Amino acid sequence: MKTRIKEFRARFDYTQEDLARIIGVRRETIVFLERGKYNPSLKLAHDVAKALNTTIDELFIFEY
Amino acid sequence: MLNDTKTGQKIVIAMGIGITTLVVVTFGFYFFANPTVELFDVITVPIIIIIILTSSYIIYDRYKNIKKGLPAQDERLKLAAYKAGYYGFVAAIWSAIGSNMLSIFLFDQDLRGGLVVAAVVLVSGIVFMLSYFYFSRKGE
Repeated sequence: MKTRIKEFRARFDYTQEDLARIIGVRRETIVFLERGKYNPSLKLAHDVAKALNTTIDELFIFEY
Repeated sequence: MLNDTKTGQKIVIAMGIGITTLVVVTFGFYFFANPTVELFDVITVPIIIIIILTSSYIIYDRYKNIKKGLPAQDERLKLAAYKAGYYGFVAAIWSAIGSNMLSIFLFDQDLRGGLVVAAVVLVSGIVFMLSYFYFSRKGE
């Protein structure tokens, strides 16, 4: 899985810690999400997308 | 759950510190009361040091996050805890069987009930802590 979280985060000038605080997760979780090393729950994916004012489809790219 | 609120998280940290302190104190009393150190005691020392160090790290890590205004535990860590719990459970079952078999194989005698219980607690505890540490660092 690839994500565009870093790209969207840069648009809002958020640090990983800022985004983590907004969503209510640990900073490491944002790190793993950005690296595509963690598959988030639907709720977390929704929360990240909402915080970055975008949709889940835009943010997460699944490769089959 | 206790972990879901900020006060709850602080209570969990306080409980962790309390339990770790109790383990250290109990261990200290045990060695004070027993001047003759047996082989089993020597084996137990590194295990208890591992448990204390790992739990101290987990407590410190949680405290650090709370101080920054971040949650001590989120869905990724809960998942890591569930996975580690599964591995701890499997380790508990195998250590109950394995410790006695190992004792028969090495010393040609059955292990006392108390020692089997001790082996189960220590092995499952260590496996839980190490796998929790691994999964929380690995990501998935």
